[in-house]
Amino acid sequence: MTVAATNASAPMRPQSRPRMAQFLFAAALCLAVAKLALPDGLVRPPDWLVWPFADWFNAVFSFIRDDLGLIHVTRAFADGLESVLDVTANLLYGKNRWPRLGPIPWSVIAITAAMIGYAINGWRLAAFAGLTFVWIAAMGQWQWAMETLSVIIVAAPVSVFLGLLLGTMGWKSARFRLVLNPLLNVAQSLPHFAYMIPVVVFIGVGAKAGAIVTIIFSVPPMIRMTMLGLQKVPSEVVEAGHMAGATRWQLLRHVRLPTARTELLVGVNQVIMQCLAMVVLASFIGMPGLGQKLLQLLQALKIGRSIEIGITIVLLAIMLDRCSKAWAVKQPVHLEKGTSWLMRHKLLVIWAALVAVFWALSLVFPILHEIGRRDALSLAAPLDAIMDWIIGTLDPVTQWLRWFLIVWVLIPLRDGMLWLPFSAVLVFLMAVGWAIGGKRSALVCLGYFGLIAMSGWWDRAMITVYTVTFAVFIATLIGFPLGIWGSRSKARAQAVLLVCDTLQTFPSFIYLIPVIMLFGVNDVAVVGAVVLFAAVPLVRYTIEGLRGVPEAQIEAADMSGATRRQTLWSVRLPLALPTIMVGVNQSVMFSLFMVIIAAFIGTQDLGQEMQRALSSSDVGKGLVLGLAVSFMGLMVDHLITVWANRRRRALGLS
Amino acid sequence: MSPSQPVISCRNVWKLFGPRPESYLAGLDPAAGFDAIRADGYVPAVRDVSLDIARGEMLVIMGLSGSGKSTLVRCMSRLIEITGGEIDVDGRVIGALSERELIDLRRNKMGMVFQNFGLLPHRTVLDNVAFPLEMRGQDIHARRARALEVIELVGLAGREDYFPRELSGGQQQRVGIARSLAIEPDIWFLDEPFSALDPLIRREMQDEFLRLQAMLGKTIVFITHDFDEALRLADRIAIMKDGAVEQCDRPDRIVMNPATDYVAKFIEDVEKARVVHARALAQPVDGQTLTGAPVDGSKTISQLARLLVNDDRAILPVSGPDGRVIGAMDRQQALDVLLGAAQ
Amino acid sequence: MRTKLFMSAAAVALASVSMAQAEDSSDPIIIPTHNWSSQIVMSHVVGQIFESMGNSVEYVSTDSQAVYESVRLGDVTLELEVWEGAFGPAFEAALEKGGLHDAGDHDAVTREDWWYPSWTKEACPGLPAWEALNDCAAQFATPETGDKGRFLGGPVDWLKHDQERVDALGMNFVVVNAGSASALWAEVGAAERDKRPVVIFNWTPNFVEALYPGEFVEFPEYVEGCKDDPAVGPNPDMTYDCGNPANGYLKKAAWDGMEEKWPAAYATLKRISFTNPQIAEMAKLVDIDELEPEDAAAEWLETNEAVWKPWVDGGA
Ligand SMILES: Nc1ncnc2c1ncn2[C@@H]1O[C@H](COP(=O)(O)OP(=O)(O)OP(=O)(O)O)[C@@H](O)[C@H]1O
Ligand SMILES: [Mg+2]
Repeated sequence: MTVAATNASAPMRPQSRPRMAQFLFAAALCLAVAKLALPDGLVRPPDWLVWPFADWFNAVFSFIRDDLGLIHVTRAFADGLESVLDVTANLLYGKNRWPRLGPIPWSVIAITAAMIGYAINGWRLAAFAGLTFVWIAAMGQWQWAMETLSVIIVAAPVSVFLGLLLGTMGWKSARFRLVLNPLLNVAQSLPHFAYMIPVVVFIGVGAKAGAIVTIIFSVPPMIRMTMLGLQKVPSEVVEAGHMAGATRWQLLRHVRLPTARTELLVGVNQVIMQCLAMVVLASFIGMPGLGQKLLQLLQALKIGRSIEIGITIVLLAIMLDRCSKAWAVKQPVHLEKGTSWLMRHKLLVIWAALVAVFWALSLVFPILHEIGRRDALSLAAPLDAIMDWIIGTLDPVTQWLRWFLIVWVLIPLRDGMLWLPFSAVLVFLMAVGWAIGGKRSALVCLGYFGLIAMSGWWDRAMITVYTVTFAVFIATLIGFPLGIWGSRSKARAQAVLLVCDTLQTFPSFIYLIPVIMLFGVNDVAVVGAVVLFAAVPLVRYTIEGLRGVPEAQIEAADMSGATRRQTLWSVRLPLALPTIMVGVNQSVMFSLFMVIIAAFIGTQDLGQEMQRALSSSDVGKGLVLGLAVSFMGLMVDHLITVWANRRRRALGLS
Repeated sequence: MSPSQPVISCRNVWKLFGPRPESYLAGLDPAAGFDAIRADGYVPAVRDVSLDIARGEMLVIMGLSGSGKSTLVRCMSRLIEITGGEIDVDGRVIGALSERELIDLRRNKMGMVFQNFGLLPHRTVLDNVAFPLEMRGQDIHARRARALEVIELVGLAGREDYFPRELSGGQQQRVGIARSLAIEPDIWFLDEPFSALDPLIRREMQDEFLRLQAMLGKTIVFITHDFDEALRLADRIAIMKDGAVEQCDRPDRIVMNPATDYVAKFIEDVEKARVVHARALAQPVDGQTLTGAPVDGSKTISQLARLLVNDDRAILPVSGPDGRVIGAMDRQQALDVLLGAAQ
Repeated sequence: MRTKLFMSAAAVALASVSMAQAEDSSDPIIIPTHNWSSQIVMSHVVGQIFESMGNSVEYVSTDSQAVYESVRLGDVTLELEVWEGAFGPAFEAALEKGGLHDAGDHDAVTREDWWYPSWTKEACPGLPAWEALNDCAAQFATPETGDKGRFLGGPVDWLKHDQERVDALGMNFVVVNAGSASALWAEVGAAERDKRPVVIFNWTPNFVEALYPGEFVEFPEYVEGCKDDPAVGPNPDMTYDCGNPANGYLKKAAWDGMEEKWPAAYATLKRISFTNPQIAEMAKLVDIDELEPEDAAAEWLETNEAVWKPWVDGGA
């Protein structure tokens, strides 16, 4: 099967690739075995190799900030943004700013959400959207949720707009794309904390800073989807526009963007999900709302109430996700000619009437205006009881598991990782690169990890590598079978994917506490928290890969008398493998993000240093650490992409 | 501009796809064949095409899939830039027009129907058809009225508010035709415009088309795979192979005198009697005395079949449009055409 | 000489009078809140005091370490809880860069040190003496520390020098750093179930005292110089051979521009001073009585009018 993979433009590759890779593997092995005999410079990066990147970054930053005076520009921009945020803040939770109309009663917002849900996708979405807001109000989280939403409803449109703008520019100009693509790669693999530090310096703290980091984090997928969508517009549609005599702007506005609508709306959807993922993290630099409250509650060990907030975030995410997805597939309805204005705007009229009614009612019954914490419901007690019960039940098992993993697996693995000479690691990675993608990939691997060695954080980086590798390994053991199981039937797949969605949007900080309670402050807890997160994309992509196998292939296998097991192993899995590998790739990315967050449990890796950099507002150090993490992700991404593309080509899937 | 000047004139037009087509073409051996160019990693979609299309003429382009028909038409409308040669439209070198001039030309003079329709998925039928008018900046009432008119013309009245995805392939194709007609173009490019229509509607559209053509006298470049269609419509047919025009001539001349083996093979299955007109077989009258009533030169041989079989003259006079005898036709030769024994 | 002194005193007096008469700016005073309850309630208490004086106030939640950078730049106006142990270094560093200043101490003293929940005493009856702790080190062993006991310290960036102390006192313990305060509490919470002995880093005033009663370990008493001078303290060769000071400061910090912009509020801020019981009460209102911080602050202000009125009126 792999014969087809050999590429016509590089006829010498097939023989030389394995040979060179084998040679490099052997060299790496020799370096490791001969460690004691090696000069120090090959064991750990020698001083001359460690460059003071952090100082350089800091110098550049202070130059930009003070000498170029960029800080005034960014601050002015932030003030502008803040005045917009003040408007939504006033409307949603009554912050004392112009236009001083708010807060809008919760019942009015709930009914509005329900109407939007109905208009987009009918009763079910209406009920879901409306009940989400009822839940928020009834749980006494209104104020915080509105603080969060007041930022999101500004940040999300700004992200969408910026994404459209940059995406269009990137699509238009190959040169711009050349700059944009690497930036996007780094931005999407850079841990959040790394760019929070510059934001604190350039923007300050508070809702505006929260909005800015949210925008920075959510804009890359929009840019990518815009570029993709514009590229996918059929050339004939564009030519039709040309022949109609459209100018460039008309072409973009009336032909290209509307035709790319589906991709653009997927981008919008991604923006929304990313915004909600940032709710908790942005509160580290002062974004008010659910995230901030969540951290406070966790700090006071109130797990039940933090779970309530987590549920709210998940509900908001699913609601916005469903709405934007439904909107993406919805095409405008076509009305009979001669429909009256009232009929054409029926929903609008009903909505306006309902708003008026509920607003009036809320003046009479304050409970429809705001539900105070004292009147609110709480599930905290039963949730706490459930948590206690789960932890109590699992405890005996985890005690043993913890002991076993630490003594027999994790400590030896970690010590081994730290024992390895850095030169051996680099050569080994080159060998892997060479085996997968030839010389270019070998150099890419060397480049990324070489830079990590030069950053001076080698040991910590190795601990991160060890944690992530082990976590992804365990995640594969769990996620892969689960994915296969979940792909058996459509209903099952949907249920499992819903669980995946939930796990993915449920704020990861909440996991940390139970995980510590089960495993204590140690690497088992860290790995446990990371695994929980890393398994999600694996399950998702395994299911999608397996379910995406063309029906004809399976029928062909069935007709050749294959058993279900044979079909799985010799037809479905090989065909789904490229997609599954994308899942592995994502899993690595998720792990890298989570391992940084797991620093809150207590680690000795890059994440811990990142936390220190955040608390001392050290921009340079934060960036160096962030880039080190990002490079790990990018290397894996490169290898898997190269591999998967080769594989796809071999299977004739693209 | 004199009426005899061609509306579209292509001179040695080349279109190569590949990494650096211009410099490759500059260094190209003029004798290089299609395969040699392919071997160098270039796709010669249009090879050294020279054609003149007169005002009011309908040129039909035929050829196998991938022979470069669509590409040639795109070159004429400058949807793609040509690699070499020159194309004049209305006496102006189209490659030298500024963006503004090109837009004006397209807004006022050109229309095109696309092979895959190229409809805007987010617009209704009405808005799709009105699109070129909208681009021109016409006000909403005027463009609605005009759009409704052409929608009526293509037989889609009542579907104005549908979206392309709600229409069948044939209906979509008619939206494309309507759209290209909306601005009343002088030059009309049609890339397999009837391919998705059922035979009945296709026939109807062809008739409609001929009527329009007689009435408005547009200059039309028409691509089709259907020889019958070509015969019904064409003033001239150009047959393309591997990017080059093998032969471009009146249909009956092509049938009677294919220029190359390829063309001969291409027309092999054509029922010649239905193509060849009596006048095409007429030889100059050199002194012979012709007897009896002349046959109408504009009739095809198959239309004359009964007469040819029943008549016993060896030589038949052929009359022109004004009824005067323009030549003599050998009955045996005509019968050979009719029964398929010629050549 | 004398006149000179008098003159300058008069100048100061004049200046302060003119200050007091200047109007406070109508811009909001920005008060940072962090992720522990006493600080949040205290922030709201002070905020509501300012509001009662006619100022407008806004709260922003920030990281408790990064906040000093924000105070320096004037993004937030003040900081109400500068703990000597936890935030001393960040505060001093910011002080050095300029832009903020020390706005006086609270009455409250802070203590940060090794601490154990009360059930630990059953397993190790000699506590709170550190020698006793050392003797039952095995009780505190975990898989990752082998035979040695585990001490769960705070995040590394709190710079607690626990490892140095272990070395200096020759203790049979390994220091493991938790990544956040929540991790510390989670560990205690987990230990409570099976009454497992643990020793962690803790401080007072802190809400944990209300959830889990416990005591600090008594190390050799802190004496000046014990952290810098090897000769001081029981181990003549090493530094850090002592406990932390049992009465660390709890300061307020203010942005340099505050005095000019909100003179009245600034004067009040300088007079504000809370005691340990008051802080503990604020924390209790939120952590035990489950009030929202705003409500807790309002309640506290209501019951403690006698305490805070003088700060506003200028009497001490
Ligand atoms: N943008 C392009 N890039 C590269 N090659 C192209 C491009 N467009 C067309 N070609 C190639 O040019 C040749 C001619 O294509 P063209 O579309 O003109 O064929 P056609 O005669 O219209 O065929 P069909 O009857 O199938 O529509 C084909 O070999 C095609 O692969
Ligand atoms: Mg074509």
